[in-house]
Amino acid sequence: MSGTLPGAVSGPREGDAFIRVVHSISRLCGVAAAGLLIAALLVTCHMIIVRSFLGQSTIWQTETVIYLTIGAICVGLPYVQMLRGHVNVDLIPLAMGPKLRLIWMVLILIVSIVVVAMIAWYSWEYLHQAWKRNWKSPTVWAPRIWFVWTAMPLGFGLLLLQLIADLWGQLRGYERPFWLEGK
Amino acid sequence: MDPLTLGLLVAVATIAVLFSGISIGVGLLVVAAAFLLIFDGPRSLEMIPEIFFGDLNSFTILSIPMFIVMGAAIASTRAGADIFEAIERWLTRVPGGLVVSNIGACALFASMSGSSPATCAAIGKMGIPEMQKRGYPDEVAAGSIAAGGTLGILIPPSVTMIVYGIATETSIGRLFLAGLVPGIMLALIFMAWSIFATWRAGGAHIFTGRSYSLKERLEILPRVIPFLVVVVLVLYAMYGGIATTSETAAVGAVACLVMAVVIYKMWQPRAIWGVLRDSTRESIMILFIMAAAGVFAYMMSSLFITQALAEWIAGLEVNRWVLMLIVNIFLLVAGFFLPPVAVILMTAPVLLPILQTADFDPYWFAVILTINLEIGLITPPVGLNLFVINSIAPQISLRTILLGSLPYVMCMVLAIVILCFFPWIATGLPDLVMGEAIR
Amino acid sequence: KELRLSHQFATGDVRHKVAEMIAEEVAAANVDLSIKIFPASSLFKANDQYIPLTRGQLDMTLFPLSYAGGQQPVYNLTLFPGLIKSHAHAKRVNESPFMEELEKVLNEEDVKTLVRGYLAGGFASVGDCVTRPEHVKGKTVRAAGKGFEEMLAHAGASIASMPSSENYNAMQSKILQALNTSSSSFVSFRLYEIVDCYTPAAENALWFMYQPVVINKTTFDGLTPEQQKALTDASAKAEAWYFEQAQADDAASVEVFQKAGVKIATMTEEDIEAWKAVAQESSFKKFADEVPDGQRWLDLATSVE
Ligand code: NA
Ligand code: NA
Repeated sequence: MSGTLPGAVSGPREGDAFIRVVHSISRLCGVAAAGLLIAALLVTCHMIIVRSFLGQSTIWQTETVIYLTIGAICVGLPYVQMLRGHVNVDLIPLAMGPKLRLIWMVLILIVSIVVVAMIAWYSWEYLHQAWKRNWKSPTVWAPRIWFVWTAMPLGFGLLLLQLIADLWGQLRGYERPFWLEGK
Repeated sequence: MDPLTLGLLVAVATIAVLFSGISIGVGLLVVAAAFLLIFDGPRSLEMIPEIFFGDLNSFTILSIPMFIVMGAAIASTRAGADIFEAIERWLTRVPGGLVVSNIGACALFASMSGSSPATCAAIGKMGIPEMQKRGYPDEVAAGSIAAGGTLGILIPPSVTMIVYGIATETSIGRLFLAGLVPGIMLALIFMAWSIFATWRAGGAHIFTGRSYSLKERLEILPRVIPFLVVVVLVLYAMYGGIATTSETAAVGAVACLVMAVVIYKMWQPRAIWGVLRDSTRESIMILFIMAAAGVFAYMMSSLFITQALAEWIAGLEVNRWVLMLIVNIFLLVAGFFLPPVAVILMTAPVLLPILQTADFDPYWFAVILTINLEIGLITPPVGLNLFVINSIAPQISLRTILLGSLPYVMCMVLAIVILCFFPWIATGLPDLVMGEAIR
Repeated sequence: KELRLSHQFATGDVRHKVAEMIAEEVAAANVDLSIKIFPASSLFKANDQYIPLTRGQLDMTLFPLSYAGGQQPVYNLTLFPGLIKSHAHAKRVNESPFMEELEKVLNEEDVKTLVRGYLAGGFASVGDCVTRPEHVKGKTVRAAGKGFEEMLAHAGASIASMPSSENYNAMQSKILQALNTSSSSFVSFRLYEIVDCYTPAAENALWFMYQPVVINKTTFDGLTPEQQKALTDASAKAEAWYFEQAQADDAASVEVFQKAGVKIATMTEEDIEAWKAVAQESSFKKFADEVPDGQRWLDLATSVE
């Protein structure tokens, strides 16, 4: 096993125009995710002040914080993928030769793409249903579920896009399989 | 297929997939989806997004990013370095003073956070680079924080103890007290091992560091005041009836950000973005794994694997200590794959009655269970703390983190053995404070 | 054939026993049908059970129907202040036209009710006791149920929304000063360890929550007539027992709190009327305004003597 975050700080190597566009989108997602997290922090503080010092009701804050953070996590998925920030254990690829390693990498990206696409698809179906049937959260505040759920298909959809760009980058040879140095 | 075979199949598949080089979160989703598809039918795949979302839909879990922001803000300023400089100057005569104080900091932080990865992230962010800088071996620097982080769910407040208390109808207050002394004991064992490991790795020079004059020791103190103010503020928010355990995380995070900007003059947008970018990346990485582990746990529960194994253990007719040994091995293996809360929800209702029939104390058992599950946090294939360290200290390889953590696993096994011989370590304090439990 | 039943309650809870009873009876009927129980949220989280149930991904559940109030707003009436006075009244409501209408809504969502049952609850507080609306003024309260939250807010309480896992810590550190939930939850959350006063459901009670055993309708229709009969017979038996236990639960909770040295307060008939007056101005009004056909549903629910 080796350290697996070589690109974490410097960012990945760019390839062609397609990859650059996808990376710009992912970067935008990163900024959005950070913004949502900060908003969650501020709302939590607001809740504490309003409840403990002003003695007022805190009806919308808990849910808002949860939804902001879920939004941050989902929307941030492609950004972290672009930074190679999703940790992995590359025990098996380390034992492989360069050729087999490329095939293995492509295989793994395809499996990832299939699963992420499936989740994005079913998220979309759920979103559609929540919107059509006007589902709300069962609280006094009762925000609409579809609004919150948008984060799921959006986040997984953009993660799918980033994974496709990664696959493209591997096939065109812009990046090394598993970002490992060759033997 | 009988659950034992099925469980074995899941274990082998999980290890193979997670070591394949796929990212851990996606890997867990792949295994869960595959087994659900084969053994539960295609319709169960539809539910994966809902379960993923449902696992994130909890305020308690969402305090983790806030603690990560807190750690990143301290680490990015001179505050972190100042604190360790002060520790260095004051603890120069204590062998391995820095690693001792890092584990101490984990224990202290554990008393503010109910989660292990959060404890790990907050302390490790500044602690690991400092230890490396001062000549501690990488194994000790990474291992001590990974292990120290696990104290988060043993020392109160603890999310897993609350879940255990509700699932088994035992007193949460008593459970909290039961975890305290074993938590401190475990911290001491970690410290002892860290000192020994540092010395053995040829770090003897660390113990004979230069001595500091009283003047040098005193002049550093004003520089740690801002940090102490933050700590006092957080403790006040939590124990003074201002905020709940999870909410406290936000107080700490905002206080640390404000401290970084106002006191340490972190004006430049670049620097602030650096803190935000790092904590966003780490939070998303860890919460993605946690939500995916929740989907994995749903698959395990749906296929009734964990429960069937627990029931199988329940049916065994063996000596009570053999029973305890089997239960421990079972929990250990379950912890390798599943997050602590999931293991408790699936097994506690089945296991606890049997253990009580065998005359084991439920509060004592909660501590044993928690330590077992803590081990799972620092072992592959799903070791949340390992991944946190890997993310906050990318300069240390996962292999080194893993090797460094293994001795601490042994420390935890030792703690379990000690607790088996001296159960009063866990039950003594609650009995003293709350009176003998009605058992 | 095997049916899967999920619920959120601990294995010592009366609601788990109800589920177990159905499972045992059905197994004893020998009609090639078994029920596998997933207790304590070990399969689905409490709030995440309804949608899988409507889609047939989960066969059965025992849960507070008001948790699905976001999907069907009328379900909020099953946890609403001032609609039910006592367990005997709850039993009459179960057999009323209101429940028949509600069953139609459930059926449209592909859900069928097997066991009807209400559980009662009360208040627990740190500091002074809560029996009248003016007692919650200025207090931070966590209530279960939209209708109750609206009523308490109208009475001047500040409503805190926090996950139930935080209740214990929050009450201990006095962030929460009062809590409103069911008798059995008071006991299973061990709140008697930390509260000063308990206002249980007694002769007069305010808080009733409908917690039925429900099954996916398509799944039920797919069973053989013998299996259906076994299931409905078992449910009828469980329902009778559930009703008895619901009352016993209130008494048992009082005993537990008393033993722990907690002060016990009681609500008078006049107190209940005072709460109802607050509810009329808040939750009733809001329900009638917000829910389509709301006034008709309210009339239907309040028409039961
Ligand atoms: Na803790
Ligand atoms: Na593990």
